[in-house]
Amino acid sequence: MTLKRVYVWELPVRLTHWLLFFSILTLSATGYYIGHPFISVPSPAKDHFVMGTMRAVHLYAAIVFTLAVLARLYWLFAGNRYARFSEFIPLSLWRLRSLWRTFLYYSFIRHDPDDYPGHNALAALSYAGIFMIYLVMIATGLALYTVIASASSPFQVFDFLVPLFNGLQMARLIHHIGMWIVLIFVVAHIYFVFLSSIIEHIGTFDSIFSGYKFVPEKEAERS
Amino acid sequence: MSRHQLGDELERRGISRRDFLGFCASMAAVLGLPDTATNAIAAAVENEARPILIWLEFQDCAGNTESFLRATHPTVADLILDSISLNYHETLMAAAGSQAESVRQRTVRDNVGKYIAVVEGSIPDGADGGYCTIGGRSALDIAREVCGGAAATIAVGTCAAFGGIPAAAPNPTGALSVADAVPGVKNLINMSACPANAENITALIVYYMTLKQWPPLDQYRRPLFAYGKTIHDNCERRAHFDAGQFVEAWGDEAHRHGQCLYKMGCKGPATSQNCPVVKWNEGTNWPIGCGHPCLGCAEPNFWDTMTPFYQRLPEVVGFNVGKWIDPVGLSLVGLAAAAAAFHGIGEVARHHLGKTRPIEDKAGSEK
Repeated sequence: MTLKRVYVWELPVRLTHWLLFFSILTLSATGYYIGHPFISVPSPAKDHFVMGTMRAVHLYAAIVFTLAVLARLYWLFAGNRYARFSEFIPLSLWRLRSLWRTFLYYSFIRHDPDDYPGHNALAALSYAGIFMIYLVMIATGLALYTVIASASSPFQVFDFLVPLFNGLQMARLIHHIGMWIVLIFVVAHIYFVFLSSIIEHIGTFDSIFSGYKFVPEKEAERS
Repeated sequence: MSRHQLGDELERRGISRRDFLGFCASMAAVLGLPDTATNAIAAAVENEARPILIWLEFQDCAGNTESFLRATHPTVADLILDSISLNYHETLMAAAGSQAESVRQRTVRDNVGKYIAVVEGSIPDGADGGYCTIGGRSALDIAREVCGGAAATIAVGTCAAFGGIPAAAPNPTGALSVADAVPGVKNLINMSACPANAENITALIVYYMTLKQWPPLDQYRRPLFAYGKTIHDNCERRAHFDAGQFVEAWGDEAHRHGQCLYKMGCKGPATSQNCPVVKWNEGTNWPIGCGHPCLGCAEPNFWDTMTPFYQRLPEVVGFNVGKWIDPVGLSLVGLAAAAAAFHGIGEVARHHLGKTRPIEDKAGSEK
């Protein structure tokens, strides 16, 4: 079996990936503090700005996160075949088969992993799901931001989102639930990347830095 | 002396010019107008014909009426209130029975398109409107008649503005807000809060008398002068929030030092009102000022979404998700990590048992 070097992740894919990675870590840490302020500071109040700093960092990280999500969504239309829309929704027969195969492989029933150079069908489907959660997080975040922004802020165009979530408190609850789903995804994602790197030896982990994967020749041709 | 002109009456009631201008200046402050607006307000309140008001009460506790009767400047506000109560106000009017009903009907008939309807309380449409009837007519019927012919409708209190407590789940009477009960109602202004602040109601009427128009509104049709900022924005304890100084338990050191009530479930960050500025009971104090978190009473569905009152996150359909979501979420992330570790052990085991494709093949062919 010969291995072929395939350029899988273009620069925008890698860049948005790492922007999402760092912004999600920042948002989760500051967001957890905003929900449960576990650091308490002594008096006087004027000497400290813990919550204020957490909120400011959270808002700036949210801007990075939102722009990264939007850029990646744009790349669904502009990117190469591994970055496109069709990758994420298993509609073709071979993608459905790949979905089933990957499931069997992870369940210790099948012995060979699926060697498709892009996302395996199961991973791709989970990314489609997690991007839906990202959109919900952005929407609830913007809804919560409308009461922080001044009444004349252009962000007030998003105030229609507040009744959509049945009020700010429900938006806040959904924002918490969303964070935990994203963090569970992060744990699973990192695990499966390392599993693939160590067991399959196709350069999965390295590929998010270099953009290249090494795959059996016949798999590289599959479309 | 014309009943509709205030100037002479002020003197008769022993209100000095100084007190009157003080009232006008405080109204300008509530409305967020500059000091120079004081004279315009004084001229309007003195000389303009007072608008005719009909005050309707439906499913309510009369709390807004009580609040209004305790307006900061009772003597001056009373005069404005007089023209309201003289026409129709169930709690305040002297007339009763068919006499009172005929006054209301006559006012509506003679002043179509000119009077202002004030509604307090929600309007039930359950049992064909049978849950709330006055003089044999349903609240729904009366509201549609009176609000339908009004130049403007002011929904006072959260019940009238958003359905309030009667509309809280499971809403047994099918309680509706004015907007829902009277579709297409003209110039609706929602003065929510439980109760609505008397200063704001008076200021709204003064605004109308001075400028001959209604103030700019937010997306829930609440005037921006009173609902344009959150409680949190103007809170006197805000510095403690930004610093990170929080009350952890009732009566602890932070509580005694007047620090932030955020962790005790304060809904100030989610509630738009000018309480911190205008305060209550003649500007004496307000809930957060005396150490109690904001309940969020001015917001739609506050009884369903702001509860539990002493908790940050809400409860959903009887299950207290808000309390458990973060510990449960943290545990699930841990569980996911543990599951990954176990799966990894399985993978290593199967690799050593030679049940996967041999790596040597691939490594060898790479050269």
